[in-house]
Amino acid sequence: MEEEIQAQNEPAYGFGDYLPSAGIVGIIFSLITFAAGLFFGYQQINSEPTGTFFSPFMISSGVICLISALAGLLAVWHFTREVSPELKLGQGAVLGFLTGAVIAILGVVFNELWVMLFDPEYSEKILSSLIANIEEMELPSAQKNEMIDAMAESVVSGQSLLRQLFMGIPITGLINLITALIGVKIFAEKPEEKF
Amino acid sequence: MANSKLYYFLLIAMAGMVFLALGGGIWGAEQSIGHWTGVLFQSVCHQDPTRSFSVFGTPMAVNSRCFGIFAGILTGLLLIPVLSAINFKNKKGLVVLLFAVMLQIIDYSGNLMGYWENTNISRVLLGGFLGLAISISISDFFYNNNQT
Repeated sequence: MEEEIQAQNEPAYGFGDYLPSAGIVGIIFSLITFAAGLFFGYQQINSEPTGTFFSPFMISSGVICLISALAGLLAVWHFTREVSPELKLGQGAVLGFLTGAVIAILGVVFNELWVMLFDPEYSEKILSSLIANIEEMELPSAQKNEMIDAMAESVVSGQSLLRQLFMGIPITGLINLITALIGVKIFAEKPEEKF
Repeated sequence: MANSKLYYFLLIAMAGMVFLALGGGIWGAEQSIGHWTGVLFQSVCHQDPTRSFSVFGTPMAVNSRCFGIFAGILTGLLLIPVLSAINFKNKKGLVVLLFAVMLQIIDYSGNLMGYWENTNISRVLLGGFLGLAISISISDFFYNNNQT
């Protein structure tokens, strides 16, 4: 009985309640990560091959991961400010995962739009630059060829929209789910026990 | 255990993530870059083979620091029932997490500026500490006597 009454007092949120926070924070972070990706991408295209693996394009994934991981935390902050200060752990987890999913989906959409509207050869230019870089590496030629083949295959297979979404959502979603749990700890008010 | 469904979901998801992070070597591939395990992590990690551990001679799908973070989170999740049983007080969890983040920044910057050269071992240890700190910082959500 006590549990039933407590359950009635606990806030229940639907998809529509999560969407503003997940959407706004997701849009902002996907724009930031998209812009950062383009910045590093064109740096890669315009750079001379150095023969080191630590190229601008490779650095970008680490930077983008760090930036996008904060989205779950900030989505919880936004939710506690704009929707309700009370948020349970599981609700924070849903919010974090949704935010990660929004970032992954919009990231793919923005990239596709960029390639369609502004630079149809963007992927090919990145690939050429990465291959030129690998060719400068001091590695056995068999290993170089393997890396070039793998990279070419990765870029070609990565161009499938569904594959990008299927591969992008789980990992980005899970990372943001975890940071959202930290967000719940920092920002959310815990529902007070009535009994 | 409080929030047990979420706990088991996280445990399974992180175990899966650590397993997949081992990369193409498990699946008989010669490279993780280009393999589906590599594609899975390409948006979150630079996947530099020279900064990654190898499994069966194939570099992992993530670098050593990322692997440390994932493995640290999983280890921390596995420790939560023990911490709960011994009634571990977790009042400084967020401070430890902040400290772990600062350590990463210092290590990365020091290496970038040439003050020292980090290794796969140092990166996996520091990453593991960060992952552990993440799990510990949220551990009290899963205790039986959930007081946060």
